[in-house]
Amino acid sequence: MWHFALRRGTVLLLTLLLVSIVAFLIPYIGEGDPALLVLRARIADPNVDQTTLEAMRHHLGLDRPLAVQYFAWLGDALRGDFGLSFIRRAPVADMLGGALLVSITLALSALLIALLVSAPLGTLAAMRPGGRADTAATLLTQTLIAVPEYWMAPMGILIFALWLGWLPSAGWDGPSSLVLPALVLALRPLAYFTRIIRAAMIDVLDAPYITAARSRGLGLRQTVLRHGLRNGAMPVITLFALWLAGLLGGSVVVEVIFAIPGMGRLIYEAVINKDIPVLQAGFVAIVALAVVINTLVDLAYLAINPALRHSHGA
Amino acid sequence: MALEAALPDAALPSRSPQAPRRPRFARPHWTLVAGALLLVLVAVTLCLGPTLAPYDPTAQTLIRRLKPPSEAHWLGTDHLGRDVLSRLLVGGHFAVIIAAVTLTLSAVFGTLIGVISSRKGGLVDEIAMRSVDLLISFPEVVVAIFLIALLGPGYGTLILALTVVGWTPFARLARGLAIEINAKPYIRAAEILGCSRRFIILRHIIPNAIGPISAMAFLRFGHKMITVGGLSYIGLGIQPPHADWAAMMAEAQPYIERAPLLVVCPGLAIFLTALSVTWIGQGLSQTGDKP
Repeated sequence: MWHFALRRGTVLLLTLLLVSIVAFLIPYIGEGDPALLVLRARIADPNVDQTTLEAMRHHLGLDRPLAVQYFAWLGDALRGDFGLSFIRRAPVADMLGGALLVSITLALSALLIALLVSAPLGTLAAMRPGGRADTAATLLTQTLIAVPEYWMAPMGILIFALWLGWLPSAGWDGPSSLVLPALVLALRPLAYFTRIIRAAMIDVLDAPYITAARSRGLGLRQTVLRHGLRNGAMPVITLFALWLAGLLGGSVVVEVIFAIPGMGRLIYEAVINKDIPVLQAGFVAIVALAVVINTLVDLAYLAINPALRHSHGA
Repeated sequence: MALEAALPDAALPSRSPQAPRRPRFARPHWTLVAGALLLVLVAVTLCLGPTLAPYDPTAQTLIRRLKPPSEAHWLGTDHLGRDVLSRLLVGGHFAVIIAAVTLTLSAVFGTLIGVISSRKGGLVDEIAMRSVDLLISFPEVVVAIFLIALLGPGYGTLILALTVVGWTPFARLARGLAIEINAKPYIRAAEILGCSRRFIILRHIIPNAIGPISAMAFLRFGHKMITVGGLSYIGLGIQPPHADWAAMMAEAQPYIERAPLLVVCPGLAIFLTALSVTWIGQGLSQTGDKP
């Protein structure tokens, strides 16, 4: 167990180091000269004379060796200082924090909706595999997986905002503006959750302790509620965490459609505007979050399920 | 994202290639049949689209903009007076081609990595699987957006971006399948006969693992297509004036109240295409499951 945790921890640190190097190199991979990029972002004139360029390079510390620059950048980044946005001139860390909060709120709401629907649906399907409820649930999940969110979003806006006028069509202003985007985002996780809950519950309901509970005279509903849900929860928690990591930034299309100031839109705008500091910080934040969540899920799996500990050569 | 965790357990082939075979497609699941029919329909439409299109998909007639369906324009015209039906008929190419190329590359690369690391074990296996652990948690849209920011949009960038993340679930699946196949008696027999590792992998392991792997490729196809479409929707995929389903929806969004069909039709096209491949994938994995 500890051996495994140590190994995963080392891999995690190496990964984060690699990610930071890639993020640091972003301005060099693209257009080439970062000083020119900064100048272009600040003054509209595309023709910059050589003296200005040299002065800018010195001002930004870009005339130092690359390794020195990297460690300076990494030191600042570790203290939470990712510099100023080229466009908004605000500290990138503050922009990122706000956007992250918005995205987490949106992602959690969507995943909770998905869970609330899929838990009863998947359980119902698992209680009689091949039955009518199972067929309906399977059909529903297969269909939902194929629905593009950029189709549901405009349709939702058309019906609930423009025609019925129940909800705002876009923006981030109070709980009512959360409803449509969260519902749209919930569709795909809902399908995957239902499938995994169904599979997990079929496995669980097949287990000997369920037969034992049933033969002691416990009703089917009681058995499912007391034993089934608890034992089938682990794969669902894993999938929930992975979706959470995936939706931070992965919800970019929905955030752009609904004009939600989250991570996805922040990065999208940074790409459009070539706002390098925001791109760097966004890249580090999203990848780091994804990798950390993934590692934590693996460790939690191991901590909760003792049967797995030996198979990992601990 | 590690969605493969949600896929149904792939059935392992239980027979050796030498054993007498049951007819291969004895009882195909109904979703397989329905999906295949739908896919044939979509494929034929996409192939014949440029010939079938009644108008030039990029020809603008500004005085005839946002017209409702009529005899001349079956699905009406868009905000630049272009014929919607003609644009629909040619608008699927970009996303479908990228999804197909990406999945082929991912499946081949991932399967090879997974199978080889299962046969070699040790350090190779460790490095390959740690890379999978790492890459599988990257949100692929975000990776794509970053690569587009660095390299500019286009076929190459998107295929690269989606393959970098996309091969990992195939590697995981192939490795799992290969480990179980490795334990079969006929592999032991082949080893005793002195067959090379290459022969065992190509002749025994890959043919026996191909079913679940192709099922996974079909199941992921729709997801890939939708991702590519999402990038086109926000302007980072296909570039105008080419017709593309997702881009058509993005262009039509400001006029959605006046001409809802402009959003409904391309969305339906993406949905049906994604649905057909998902059904095939689901049918393939369930046909394999049945005894």
